[in-house]
Amino acid sequence: MKPLRLLAMFIIPMGLIIAAVPQNKTNPYKLTAEELLSEVNTRNQYVAPDVVADMIVKKDPSLRLIDVRSQDEFEKYSLPGAVNIPITNLLSPDYKDILNQDVKMNVFYSNGTLTANEAWMITRQLGYNNNFVLEGGLNYWFGNILNPRQPSSTSPDEEFALYDFRKSAGQALGGGEISVTASDNQAAPAAKPAVKTAAKKKKAAGGC
Amino acid sequence: MGPLAPNEIISENTNFLLAFFIGIAFGWVLESSGFSSSRKLAGIFYGYDTVVLKVFFTGAITAMLGLLFMSLFGWIDLDLVYINPTYLTSAILGGVIMGAGFIMGGFCPGTSFCGAAIGKIDAMVFIGGLFIGVYGFAFTYPWWEKMYMAKYLGEPKISTTLGMSDGMFGLILIIAAIGMFAVAEWAEKKFPREAY
Repeated sequence: MKPLRLLAMFIIPMGLIIAAVPQNKTNPYKLTAEELLSEVNTRNQYVAPDVVADMIVKKDPSLRLIDVRSQDEFEKYSLPGAVNIPITNLLSPDYKDILNQDVKMNVFYSNGTLTANEAWMITRQLGYNNNFVLEGGLNYWFGNILNPRQPSSTSPDEEFALYDFRKSAGQALGGGEISVTASDNQAAPAAKPAVKTAAKKKKAAGGC
Repeated sequence: MGPLAPNEIISENTNFLLAFFIGIAFGWVLESSGFSSSRKLAGIFYGYDTVVLKVFFTGAITAMLGLLFMSLFGWIDLDLVYINPTYLTSAILGGVIMGAGFIMGGFCPGTSFCGAAIGKIDAMVFIGGLFIGVYGFAFTYPWWEKMYMAKYLGEPKISTTLGMSDGMFGLILIIAAIGMFAVAEWAEKKFPREAY
């Protein structure tokens, strides 16, 4: 009987303690402040609006636009195919599967870049990959993709190419009318950022 | 911080190396607790020897307390710890088959290797049967698939199902274990058997 008493004396108090303390549900940050700072400095989280426009027009299935503005704003205007995750609900467990995955390229956008960057920073600190920020936000999108300014006649060909691309992309996305300028250069949007496919978190199995 | 391998703090290979050493330690503990004797193991079903219950339940409770305290201190993220998915039909059937095999063969899979390692012929025969079962199941899998996959419940925890905290369920389990150990020791006195 003695070993049993000894065991009971040890494990029952342990059980009482663990039953009395609140459960630790905190989700610890995965990145240190230094690591995050170095990521912020590279500015690799930004995706150029031309890349996003190109992907939308081509209906690239790997793109997922995430509108982090409020639901009201989302309903008034949103980019084609975007899902709405208001920043206030960012940490809701419903959205974890969308934000923490390694298949699609998530692009956060807001009116400017502030809210989108906030969303990116929080998800990045949680260790989620493949989240990006639409450079310039919707304001830049309106001014340059949907309503591009015609370059002056002395501009280099590249600028005309970009203008043509934006003009046609903007037209496809519901902007102004189409008209191709004389330049026959193909619009070449910048290479899209590579989606990092992290090794799927494997859980170790075990048994008797 | 933890679990170490899913958080990529240690590599998959290091993980296997650690598993190798832990496995050796596990085998050593099994053998030194007498788990290589089928008579001792089968004793749990007749009441004359309950060391199986005591060792495995103590092991389970130690692991449970360890995980709960490490989670409390923020050393391990319990969301990343593997929970075997539950397929209710196959869990019940598997439990019955495993239990019947345990009574008849006198070993559970792990302890049969333990017994075979020290040269017990019955353990080797048991392993032979084990492989026949594994291959038999694998080759006839299409016949069983529907039943095997039936009643999928995801990865439920008893504590969440009962609507209590993990710690509270832990305490209840500890008290239940102490009670079971007391009953087990009573059974050992009630159904003694000499020299097995």
